[in-house]
Amino acid sequence: MALTSTAGRATETSSVARPGRVSSPRRRRRFTLTPYLFLLPGVVIFVVAIIWPAVSAFQMSLYHWNVFNAQLSQWSGIDNYLTAFKDPHFWQSLANSAIYMVATVIPQMVIGLFIALLLKKKSPVQPLFRVLFYLPVVTSWVVVSLLFKFLFDDSGLINFTLHDFLHLMNSDVSWLADRWSALVVICLLGIWKGIGWSMMIYLAALQGVPESLEEAAEMDGANRWQRFRAVTIPAINPATVFISVMLVIGGLNVFTSVQLITGGGPVGQTDVVLTYMYTQAFNFSDFGYASTLAVILAVFVFILAMLQLRILRTRDGEELA
Amino acid sequence: MKRSSKLGLAVVTAATISLVAAGCAASTTGSGTGTKASPVTVTFWGSYGNGGNSTQQDALNKTLIPAFEKANPGITIKYTDIAYDSLLQKLTTSAAGGQLPDLVRADLGWVPQFAANGVLVPLSGSMSDYKTLAAKDYAGNVSTNLYKGKYYGLPLDTNTRVLITDQAALAKAGVTAPPATFADLQTMATKLKGTGVSLFADSGLGAWNVSPWIWSGGGDLTNPDETKATGFLNSATNVQTIQMLVDWYKAGLIPNLITGNKGATGTSDGLPKTKYATIFDGPWMSGIWTGQYPKFQPTYSPIPAGSGGSISVVGGEDIVLTASSTHQAAAEKFIRFTQTSAFQIAMAKTGQMTVEPSLADQQAQLAPYYKVYSDQLKTAKSRIASPNQSKIDAVLTTTLTPAFLGKTTVQAALDSAASQIDALLAGN
Repeated sequence: MALTSTAGRATETSSVARPGRVSSPRRRRRFTLTPYLFLLPGVVIFVVAIIWPAVSAFQMSLYHWNVFNAQLSQWSGIDNYLTAFKDPHFWQSLANSAIYMVATVIPQMVIGLFIALLLKKKSPVQPLFRVLFYLPVVTSWVVVSLLFKFLFDDSGLINFTLHDFLHLMNSDVSWLADRWSALVVICLLGIWKGIGWSMMIYLAALQGVPESLEEAAEMDGANRWQRFRAVTIPAINPATVFISVMLVIGGLNVFTSVQLITGGGPVGQTDVVLTYMYTQAFNFSDFGYASTLAVILAVFVFILAMLQLRILRTRDGEELA
Repeated sequence: MKRSSKLGLAVVTAATISLVAAGCAASTTGSGTGTKASPVTVTFWGSYGNGGNSTQQDALNKTLIPAFEKANPGITIKYTDIAYDSLLQKLTTSAAGGQLPDLVRADLGWVPQFAANGVLVPLSGSMSDYKTLAAKDYAGNVSTNLYKGKYYGLPLDTNTRVLITDQAALAKAGVTAPPATFADLQTMATKLKGTGVSLFADSGLGAWNVSPWIWSGGGDLTNPDETKATGFLNSATNVQTIQMLVDWYKAGLIPNLITGNKGATGTSDGLPKTKYATIFDGPWMSGIWTGQYPKFQPTYSPIPAGSGGSISVVGGEDIVLTASSTHQAAAEKFIRFTQTSAFQIAMAKTGQMTVEPSLADQQAQLAPYYKVYSDQLKTAKSRIASPNQSKIDAVLTTTLTPAFLGKTTVQAALDSAASQIDALLAGN
């Protein structure tokens, strides 16, 4: 809308600058190119960085792609897709991605909102806590992944604390030797690192909740929980939709932490779609199959995001994201 | 060694390198070789500096390359160091983008894969003196460059795995000498039970890890032509060998590092800390321990012998020329330079083992443990020369791990592995 208005103003300015001229409809159309010129850099970047690689990936998925010499690639049609649907390791990696997504999205949102509510109140130490909670978000994934790996390794701080110090366990646990315990470690990192981001979005949303609504509810006799449920939650619903969509997309795209903490192991048990895709591409040079996995994941994420937007639409039918 | 002697040795080494480099310069003529009038720059990628090792890079950049350039006016060698873990990815993406360097120091396992995809020049066809150069090297290393009847590289440096033991752990097992046979290991296994010391540790179940056991046990991975694994990998001999490892694993004498626990203590820490009694590893471990565990004194000895003898696996790097190179003649000159005794010994001083058996004695004078590696290399075998080597490793790991975890039998695991590897070999 803003760009349309700008375009309108540009036309008016132009007319004022040249009062003697009669503006033909054709000339006005030429002037309306201005907003598109402003859009052009963004569109070019989007096409070059997103659309073109996506189309290329789809093209590669239809071939036994020879990355070293594309001309030697052999057309395979939907063979790679059929292979993927029959590949138990792909389904396991997709399941692991889904488990990570489910296990991290809800805690990030709930804990993020809780902390945002605590930090909403004015306090001299509030800025400090905001920074502290946001710090993991801006910390490098590589650094924190390696940190978690060291914490949870067989002779790491977690085993020392639980076994040697608190005596809560009879022996050290090999956290990274089993699919489920390793996934717990990876999920814990995801939650810890993501809470600060949810908190910041919720904090901004909470500051936009009209005080008059809170006061009106209070005057009507609503207690704190009732006010939170009936006033705050609906008021921050757009933020909730935004956070959930973004976290679901991010959750299904988990890569760095898995790659660095377990490398998909033991024996691919903790592989997520992206680590499996990476293995196919860079260990086995099977870029056609890797691209197929990427396309399937992209379609899956797109459908899931659309469903979320549809389901989380407000009762008034308003799109909130 | 006195300071003056060291200085003298350095001068002699530098002079020898210069002379040899000059010799290489004289041996080749032709267009594109680089002259003063039309200089060329040959790009060279490798991972000499992996793990922050500046010694090898320094030897290359400050001594060897300048000597070569001085002897070959008009040729500049531009070496780029890339971390080993990123090198394959970098080479793959660069190949896709047509941005490969002229020369690559490639892990010998990658050569068939790149050769199969037309990325490399078959040196056995382009270098008239290839046979002469290759004849000086260990046959096992040369064979890693073979793909479909052509040789695509020359060995640059080599390594293998030998048995490394911790004396304190041996004492706990009540023995004084490292185990020389499978039977000795079995004896140690009995004595180490309940001591908290693992008999043996390794970080995986790929071909690099299990091949020494299989070959020393008297078995094989495939038929001699490397076209079939069934009937070889899943032989009764191999079942017996792998079962021995599985039994030790189940008895707690091999840690779950071997089945993929990324949180387990690594072999480089476990051995000096007397958590592990024995490991199989390469000559680079000495450098690691010198820095991290200066008091640790490891014992190097041959791989314990089974019914097949003491057979290890060949490792190392080959130097390969990319098909996209526009300076092939100049690049081939540098390849010849890497095959000289001056280059090989200069790099041996930094921890890179020579590929020439005739230099083994000279190398052993640098560090006594080199002799163990050189002797082991005489019988060491190379892994399956296949563009699908990474997939073969993955097959071995994914099929053998369930056997170690007790989810399947060793026979079933090896049957499955052999069948899958058959399909990969057929796809070569």
